[in-house]
Amino acid sequence: MSVAATHRRELSVGAAYGALLVALALFAPAFYQRANLRDVLVGAAPVLVAAVGMTLVILARQIDISIGSQFAICAVVAGTLAKAGLAMPIAAAGALATGAALGALNGVLVAGFGLPAIVVTLATMVGLRETLRWVTEGVWVRDLPPGFQWMGLGQDAGRFAIPGLALLVWALVAWGMRHLAGGRAVYATGSNAEVARLTGVRPRRVVFGVFVAMGALTGLAALLSAIQFIDVQTNSGVGFELRVIAAVVVGGTSIAGGRGSLVGSLLGVLLLATAGPALTFLGSQAYWDRALQGLIILVAVAADAFGSATRLKARP
Amino acid sequence: MSYERGLALCLVLEIALFSIIGWNFFTPGNAGEIVRASAEIGLLALALTPVIVTGGIDLSVGSLLGLCAVVLGVAWRDAGWPLPAAAAAAIVAGVAGGGLNALLVARLGIPPLIVTLGTYSLFRGLAEGVTAGVKNYSDFPASFLFLGQGGVGAVPSQLLVLVAAAVGFWLMVHRMAAGRTLRAIGFSPDGARYAGVSVNRRLGAVYLLSGMCAGVAALLYVARLGQAKADAGTGFELMAITAVILGGTSIFGGRGSVGGTLLGLATLGVLQNGLRLADLPAELAGVVTAALLLAALGANRVFQGRDGT
Repeated sequence: MSVAATHRRELSVGAAYGALLVALALFAPAFYQRANLRDVLVGAAPVLVAAVGMTLVILARQIDISIGSQFAICAVVAGTLAKAGLAMPIAAAGALATGAALGALNGVLVAGFGLPAIVVTLATMVGLRETLRWVTEGVWVRDLPPGFQWMGLGQDAGRFAIPGLALLVWALVAWGMRHLAGGRAVYATGSNAEVARLTGVRPRRVVFGVFVAMGALTGLAALLSAIQFIDVQTNSGVGFELRVIAAVVVGGTSIAGGRGSLVGSLLGVLLLATAGPALTFLGSQAYWDRALQGLIILVAVAADAFGSATRLKARP
Repeated sequence: MSYERGLALCLVLEIALFSIIGWNFFTPGNAGEIVRASAEIGLLALALTPVIVTGGIDLSVGSLLGLCAVVLGVAWRDAGWPLPAAAAAAIVAGVAGGGLNALLVARLGIPPLIVTLGTYSLFRGLAEGVTAGVKNYSDFPASFLFLGQGGVGAVPSQLLVLVAAAVGFWLMVHRMAAGRTLRAIGFSPDGARYAGVSVNRRLGAVYLLSGMCAGVAALLYVARLGQAKADAGTGFELMAITAVILGGTSIFGGRGSVGGTLLGLATLGVLQNGLRLADLPAELAGVVTAALLLAALGANRVFQGRDGT
């Protein structure tokens, strides 16, 4: 099949994104100021990192709506470790390890006990969020050491490093999904778990793995977000899961599993991250942002449904 | 049936526990409070039961509640409509929102999780856009607030609405042919179509009903709190889904009951109210809810003996 046939959604989302960029160049060239572009990219970096994990989860025919709560916990862990005087790399590793552990909890419940992912992660979403609120009593982590913000790199280098690191993670995983056996196993599991099992893939292990990866990447996303501020909030990440899922879905990954790509997810993240600021630059008010995000999701999936001959009827 | 009995037993134990450790828990007045506090989520949960029975989901109900509340405020305050007309406009907005979900799910065959994820953002975004994110409509007349704060004697008015909705949904899901077709769709959409069920029409109907209930719930919400804002009903969709799943309805569709949903709703409502009266941290409610959900999944598999995957 030609590239046009196999990468339909990537091409259409890419075209939509291109059109948005052209419209901005014509009507609001101020959008292309260095500072503004940098802010858009820095803001999108945590979503991109989490979207990488979510792409794997959805490709494996699962879903994880608990990442907003994981995000808050990982940020608080990073802040608390840094405040306790530990070196920044250790605090960073702590955030990733915490995320991986929380992901493993979901993984055990889904892959080990065979419970439906949407209900398991609904339960962990509520449970983790409330546990964090209980433990911290809503108090922010303040008085962080100077080395915490921007990882001690300073604002200019930090603002360069955050999107750089996110893109690096994206590129590594995108390469791995194409060229490593583990990556192909995720596609196989999501396409048809039984067939995958017969060809020697271990679907339960793959499912456990994607949840752990999702958790670790959420930990990284939380870190990349937390170091942009002076304090660590304890109520961060509310609604984060839906933003991330929306970006992945707009990028063309099928909720029925087995179909989609990280290129699409990157475009989805960029499109949704640019739409909000673009709205302001094109003269509309910022509070229409959420409506526009919803509209983009619906138009993307509706266009797909009109266009594709084989209609997918997936279950949640 | 035995799952529901187990849940009912849990509820009785819960009530007994809070009666012992809580202050003023086991009183008619407090029972009324619990009903008032859970009526809106109850309406959404009742409407979600047939949706989930068909194997679908509706994440947009909380956002749609917010949009309908704003429509009520705009029609009454900004457009100067009489309140009954404004209330009707809010319900029409709910039906329209449900209609959009129905169109995308039933006509275009897009997975409901994705459709309602999109409308979840769209509806809340429209409410935010119309009110510029900050506008708050209040000073509703007492005759309207009666719906949320008054009642017949000691019976809160929400209870009457909730009972009427529960009876309606019970008849639909358990006593009409429509209910059987919903279950058939949940088990196998293709099988149902071969059996002569107009699958798309039925699917459309359950999303329409879900939207309409969000509109009615918006009226209850505004009348109870006396204000309509864009953030009305934030997070209600997850509470409602939790009540339905706790009530034993399978997230994969094909199995579920209205009675179970009511039991699940009562379990959640009593838990939140009881913890507060027992002076225990409110966060405990979330932790216990999470544990209950996982326990419900496990128990369901034991009782039904049906593979959850």
